[in-house]
Amino acid sequence: MQRRNKRRKEKILDRILEVPKEIATNEPKITISGFKQMLVENYKVILEYQDIYIRIKTYTGIINVNGFNLKLGEMTEDDIVISRRY
Amino acid sequence: MLFRILLRYIIGYINIRIEGYSVEKLINICIKKKIFFWNIKRERSTIIYTNIGVREFKELAQIAKQTGCRVKILDKKGMPFILHKYKKRKIIIFLLLFIIIALLSLSQFIWNIKIEGNNNISTQELTAILESKGIKIGILKNSIDKQKIINEIRLERDDIAWIGIDVQGTNVTVEVVETSAKPEIVNEEDYCNVVSDKDAQIVKISAQNGIPAVKEGDIVTKGDILIQGWIDGKYTGTRYVHANGEVQGKVWYTQKEQVPLNQVVERLTGNEEQKYKIKINNFTINLFKTLSKFEKYDTIEASNKLKIFSNFYLPIELIKVTNKEKLEEKITYGTEEAKQIGIQKASEKIEDELQDDVEVLQKYINTYENKDYIEVEVTYEVLENIGTKEKIVF
Repeated sequence: MQRRNKRRKEKILDRILEVPKEIATNEPKITISGFKQMLVENYKVILEYQDIYIRIKTYTGIINVNGFNLKLGEMTEDDIVISRRY
Repeated sequence: MLFRILLRYIIGYINIRIEGYSVEKLINICIKKKIFFWNIKRERSTIIYTNIGVREFKELAQIAKQTGCRVKILDKKGMPFILHKYKKRKIIIFLLLFIIIALLSLSQFIWNIKIEGNNNISTQELTAILESKGIKIGILKNSIDKQKIINEIRLERDDIAWIGIDVQGTNVTVEVVETSAKPEIVNEEDYCNVVSDKDAQIVKISAQNGIPAVKEGDIVTKGDILIQGWIDGKYTGTRYVHANGEVQGKVWYTQKEQVPLNQVVERLTGNEEQKYKIKINNFTINLFKTLSKFEKYDTIEASNKLKIFSNFYLPIELIKVTNKEKLEEKITYGTEEAKQIGIQKASEKIEDELQDDVEVLQKYINTYENKDYIEVEVTYEVLENIGTKEKIVF
């Protein structure tokens, strides 16, 4: 758990082997697919969770998401999905 | 993710309400401890609804205590709770077990026999043969010794070239390949005669090998020798050859047809009624009255075997009975009309009989008028090749 909190830098070996950055380092990666789903990889904790406002802390900063009917789903240790509730 | 939810549905899950000021903290700790929960709904800033597995609930309750949240169980869902609900209802469990046992035991029997590929041998004959060998409806699947039955049938029957028995689910498919009765093929080296295969008058005879035994204009019957396969020499004695040649003859095909002048013709009115029956093995249950409302009718029965999968037949049949109303009409023909009908019928019958490569020389039509009917006799005079090779047997 302590290792996770440290900021991991990209090593030369990772660059040679072309390991994806979100795996090699702790930098967050945000993928937005359409208007319905948003995937945040390498997050730290959820700071706030409300219907209209979600704050997620990552290793480089805080992501604020504004919207309506926001829903958190598929939460694992590394990634989280913000989607629209129907 | 969906798989984990489905797994929770089997193991059992509960719907809970968490109330407290630091709900986010609770969620974060749960994620860190890898407690799986899904379908989070936020109502106000302090209340959260979520689903969680039964086994993880104790851990969650502890975490809730740490973070100062209150947890309330709203609903219990999933298989174990449903089963618990039905625990007291013994008849349902008993019936379920009964159905499963019945299905398993019934699937061990054969409920349907399908025979394919037979043209000349009738289906009843084949079913009778199969029954004598032990394949009939209602026997155990394991008791069929396929190879033995196949061997026995092939030994007994000459007209079956190949037979295949295929057990699929509860039905047996018997595939038959018939041997067509071919004429005996005579080798080029063997001695043979050319023999007539029809009653005919010889028109042309040309022997390539052997001595012609008949002249043009002779009338031969079936089985007469047309070209001899032996040559009698004064000094050489009897010598046998492979007789060969072409023999053309006039063959007559006659067909008689009687046409009654007064006929009763049945005509369907188009009115129908449908009735259903259920047949369990040999026991029939009528769902409707058997009596029809029509005076005269044709009955068509169509049975439909119930099956669960594509080839799992149950011994229950649904029979649909269709009654079609019909009317009887009397028709009186004139003599000319009746003649025409008779000629047409007879000609059709003869033309079915004829081979393709024949030449029709002449048609004779005789009619005899009677009081009630007209008799028509149609004769076709046909030129065709007669003569097949027959081996000389010493």
